[in-house]
Amino acid sequence: MAEEYVVQMKGITKVYPNGIAANQDVDFNVRKGEIHALMGENGAGKSTLMKMLFGLEQPTSGEIWVNGEKVNLSSPAVAISKGIGMVHQHFMLVPSLTVAENMVLGMVPKKSGLFIDQKKAVEITEEYSRKFNLEVDPNAKVMDIPVGMKQKVEILKALVRGAKILILDEPTAVLTTQETTELFRELVNLKNQGYTLIFISHKLNEIMEITDRMTILRGGKSMGVHETKDVTAEEISRLMVGRDVVLKVQKDKAQPGDEVLRVRDLEYVNEWGKKMLDKVSFSLRRGEILGIAGVEGNGQKELVDMLFHLNVPNAGTATVNGENILGVSQRKIREKGVSLVPEDRMLYGIAGAASIQENMIADRCGSKRLNKGPMFDMKSIHAEVDQLIQDYTVLCKSGSQRVDNLSGGNIQKVVVAREFSNNPCLIIADQPTRGIDVGATEFIRKKLVELSRAGVAVLLVSADLNEVMELSDSLMVMCGGRIAAYFEDTSELSDEVMGEYMLGLKRQTPEEVRRVCHE
Amino acid sequence: MNEKKAMQAARRRSLTFTLVRGAAAIGIALLVAAVLIFVSADGDRLAHTGEALRQLLIGPLFRSNGSINVKNICDVLAAMIPTIFTGLATCVMFSANQFNLGAEGGIMLGAFVSALFAVYVPLPAGVLPVVAVLAAAAAVSVMMLIPAVLKAKLGVSEMVNSLMLNYVVMYLIKYLLNTHLADKTKGQIQSYPFQEQARIAPLIDNGSMLTWGFVIALIFVVLTSLFMYRTRWGYGIRMIGINQDFARYSGMNVAAIVILSQVLGGALAGIGGGVEMLGRYSAYSWNALPGYGWTGITVAILAGNNPAFVPLAAFFMAYLNKGCLLMSTYCGVPSQLIDILQAVIFVFFAAKQFLAKYRQRLVVKGAQEELAAQKAAAAEAAAETAEGSVK
Amino acid sequence: MLQLIFNTDFFFSILRITAPILFATLGAVVGEKAGVSNIGLEGTMMVSALFGSLTTYWSGSWAVGLVVALFCGVLVSLLMGFFAFNLKTDIILTGIAVNMIGSGGTLFLVKVITQQTEGKALASTTSLITAAHQIPSWNIPLIKDIPILGPILSGHCILTYVAFLLVFLTWVLLYRTPLGLNIRSVGENPNAASSVGVSVLKIKYIAIGFSGLMAGFGGAFMSMYYSMGWSLDMVAGRGFIALAAQAMGAGEPVGSMLSALVFGFAQAFSIKVSSKGIDSNLVTPIPYLVTILGLVAFALVLRHRVKKQHSASALEKTAK
Repeated sequence: MAEEYVVQMKGITKVYPNGIAANQDVDFNVRKGEIHALMGENGAGKSTLMKMLFGLEQPTSGEIWVNGEKVNLSSPAVAISKGIGMVHQHFMLVPSLTVAENMVLGMVPKKSGLFIDQKKAVEITEEYSRKFNLEVDPNAKVMDIPVGMKQKVEILKALVRGAKILILDEPTAVLTTQETTELFRELVNLKNQGYTLIFISHKLNEIMEITDRMTILRGGKSMGVHETKDVTAEEISRLMVGRDVVLKVQKDKAQPGDEVLRVRDLEYVNEWGKKMLDKVSFSLRRGEILGIAGVEGNGQKELVDMLFHLNVPNAGTATVNGENILGVSQRKIREKGVSLVPEDRMLYGIAGAASIQENMIADRCGSKRLNKGPMFDMKSIHAEVDQLIQDYTVLCKSGSQRVDNLSGGNIQKVVVAREFSNNPCLIIADQPTRGIDVGATEFIRKKLVELSRAGVAVLLVSADLNEVMELSDSLMVMCGGRIAAYFEDTSELSDEVMGEYMLGLKRQTPEEVRRVCHE
Repeated sequence: MNEKKAMQAARRRSLTFTLVRGAAAIGIALLVAAVLIFVSADGDRLAHTGEALRQLLIGPLFRSNGSINVKNICDVLAAMIPTIFTGLATCVMFSANQFNLGAEGGIMLGAFVSALFAVYVPLPAGVLPVVAVLAAAAAVSVMMLIPAVLKAKLGVSEMVNSLMLNYVVMYLIKYLLNTHLADKTKGQIQSYPFQEQARIAPLIDNGSMLTWGFVIALIFVVLTSLFMYRTRWGYGIRMIGINQDFARYSGMNVAAIVILSQVLGGALAGIGGGVEMLGRYSAYSWNALPGYGWTGITVAILAGNNPAFVPLAAFFMAYLNKGCLLMSTYCGVPSQLIDILQAVIFVFFAAKQFLAKYRQRLVVKGAQEELAAQKAAAAEAAAETAEGSVK
Repeated sequence: MLQLIFNTDFFFSILRITAPILFATLGAVVGEKAGVSNIGLEGTMMVSALFGSLTTYWSGSWAVGLVVALFCGVLVSLLMGFFAFNLKTDIILTGIAVNMIGSGGTLFLVKVITQQTEGKALASTTSLITAAHQIPSWNIPLIKDIPILGPILSGHCILTYVAFLLVFLTWVLLYRTPLGLNIRSVGENPNAASSVGVSVLKIKYIAIGFSGLMAGFGGAFMSMYYSMGWSLDMVAGRGFIALAAQAMGAGEPVGSMLSALVFGFAQAFSIKVSSKGIDSNLVTPIPYLVTILGLVAFALVLRHRVKKQHSASALEKTAK
């Protein structure tokens, strides 16, 4: 029966140079013409496995067979030549080039044997665009087109290179519900034309909707292959995380106090002249968790950047306890009691090559209690760090271990331990549990609730609808750089209502939105 | 207990790797040297190459009759003085990820400024050298402010600016030396002689120029190490070197630290210039960049930007340099071979992937050992709980 | 005084002086487009200058010398690439190593090869290169007879013309050929390039090889035309000035050429001034100072642009 498989990965083990074993003895088989889900939590080894199938990484041991032939996928070029294409989660596009140029990159049509044939490139793009019913603008620069179109360019790029097997790495992560529906239609269409699709995701409903079979990974090991129609969502969930996911968060009703954060008429135009923040106004009070929901790219990131001076707005004001925080150095912002759990923890959250200890004292290295005269008081530093490691259950050998040797969840715990422990009055938590394991997620969510009930104001930005609806006391929806809706009480909210506001189908009146200013 | 063992094993592996790698880099450099000497030799090439390599490797240690050559060893130690300082300066600047290459001009300026003090400022013994060296440190700090501030405030490449400044400093010193400051009674271009009380006294009186400057250099090694690893400013310097975005986000004043690292680097280079000038010379006569800045970069790279290892690296470079000089004297091999040796050792040391396969093997072995240990521990725990449930 | 300085001779000398800087600048431009910062241009030029002049002397033909100079430039830069790309040495440190070889290392080689061992730093090849070995100049028909422009533009070393022609060719390479597309995409998003099977490694080698080729031209120009022979530190920071010109030209061939001309102007000016009796040690640093000032000016312009974008006026534009 082996010949029915177009892809066979046998006994794959991958050990990275830092000693992390991302895959251990994994078997992965895909039938021709199916949509096969590769599931697992972040860090389960899905991406590593697929990188090996696309030639970006080489297995430490194990064999890969494609179309019944044993192959050595030493580079993406080899993988492409075997008919494998990959649509990456982070788009592999060159922003300053046009769609057509991106399409033909690496296989550029020439004229006079030397120069780029621009016309031909556009023709090729249009031809494939029509053939697969994926609409793109060949002459637009990639940096100017919307996310959904970028993804279509990615799919077309794989197809134009003759891919018969398409790997899609969390393709819906950046899409709106509408765009997702459209994508699924296109994927089924491709399947009907005989293409094989490998679909990486950890969203259960999507998997149930369009896949035929699935392979589940957990902790770098395979948890077996299943026919989608034969398993329930609950079973999958158990296989993925090893226990029932607790989504409910226990919390008392909020008792909001004085206003802490006050944002008024914040406006920002990005470098390509697109208005990312449009008169954003809101207030956040002591003891409440204010959630910001929305499809990514609707101004949430920009808002957080402004509040922590990672960017400068064009107009508007923002104050913490009455004091301005716009255009003020991060040190001053932190002195006012503001903490930020950054969205990109590897960029802002940690210094990878430094130790856990060095990462934990970053915001307080100048404080009196950790210094004796001009020198560090190493004793107090060790004591404080050991306490934090214990309190936040960071799984490590010691505080002197390099932080980038930890798993994602433990790295985030290091970040959170630092940000939560310096007596903040305001915590901005930007995607605080993205891509980390269930245990760490639960821990961080509990801590957030605990802190808010102790009187801290929490601004929670999350693309995870479940998280933002469960944790928040009140909730704003951002769409197109504006606050599209405000809900004072989240307990009665339904996903459908949220979806309509997130996608811009509905919008509250300015008066309704204005309630978030508590004036 | 298991964790501790694993940590120790990991440390041992990384030490083994560092040693093997260092030896390999040096081995390759010596091989290159041997080939170059062999190709350039006349007559009996093999014998000639052998003799030259002997001079290079053990010449600094032994006389031809086999006895230990104290004078040569002192020369080597004396030669470490300027490169320890430029090495420390580079360590501080490179730790902050500031590729400032101005230690070269800095040490020249430091030497020049301290020489001016030594010639013209009437201060008593004991005070004058200290003031002269401090003035040198101040002058070079000010010089480094230029690339530092431009980098911190405007984002201009400190590398290009510091290189340009090296040339500017050199020509201005040459101009001053040629015109206003020249001792016209001397055949070569040089300043008037230093006042006797300006000199830094020799440590051993054997004509080797091994002065108290060597002790000062070692003191600064300790001070710089403490500064980098035991103070908040040194910590800040290392953090912006690892991840500048993280440092800014954590509330550190990145611009100030960028400036601090380079000004401090400048001060160290300046002190080095002063100590070298007042220890070794009796009048100022440098009219070209001395090359200590570049050697300092090699020293810093060999030391892995850790000040504590700078003396070791500086010794190594000084030893090689002495060997090259002896080789040039006795075997006619041009002493500039040191520059080629330096470049070869340098690139292999800084090469992250050099012998990476060997390291990967070590790591994989380590990971397997760890997994095995974990399994054993888990089995033990399972056995224990089983026992417990039985009871 | 001004008339004494600003005559046709002066403008002729600007072009002559700019040529070697321009070669190195184009090398820096293509390198940076592929994300490769080649700070070893200085040392590469020294090596090329040495071997170019030596082979010219041995063969008696400047053409052979030029070819060898180019070959050496490419060889040195490919070696740099090997360390930087394959062994993952920091590219800046690799450049520093090349510059070490370019200064002391070349002196070692010249002593060994020519058996000159007198003195410390006196060995050079200046005694070997005569006018007969020099790369020839070209009087352009018709243009040479135009008043004012003729004496400025005509009669240059053929490599000077090659340098300015290469500005255009480099632009075509970058923006009109598949290779240029690959170079730009490797510099901007190497993952994107490798994901479609473009070998990032190969493109980076091509880019650094190109910059080595340019350094080879620059080195040959220095030792086989400009200075007539190799001597220690003869490149005198031109490789570094090229990096500044690249930055000031925003990494584009034409803009970088204009910046290179600014430095050419500064140096021509300082030479003119020192010939009028002012101490050369005072005027020689002028081009280096101009480089610093130029970089500052460029940074200020950039900052102004960024500020403008954050101003309230940017809001109005989008409102309309």
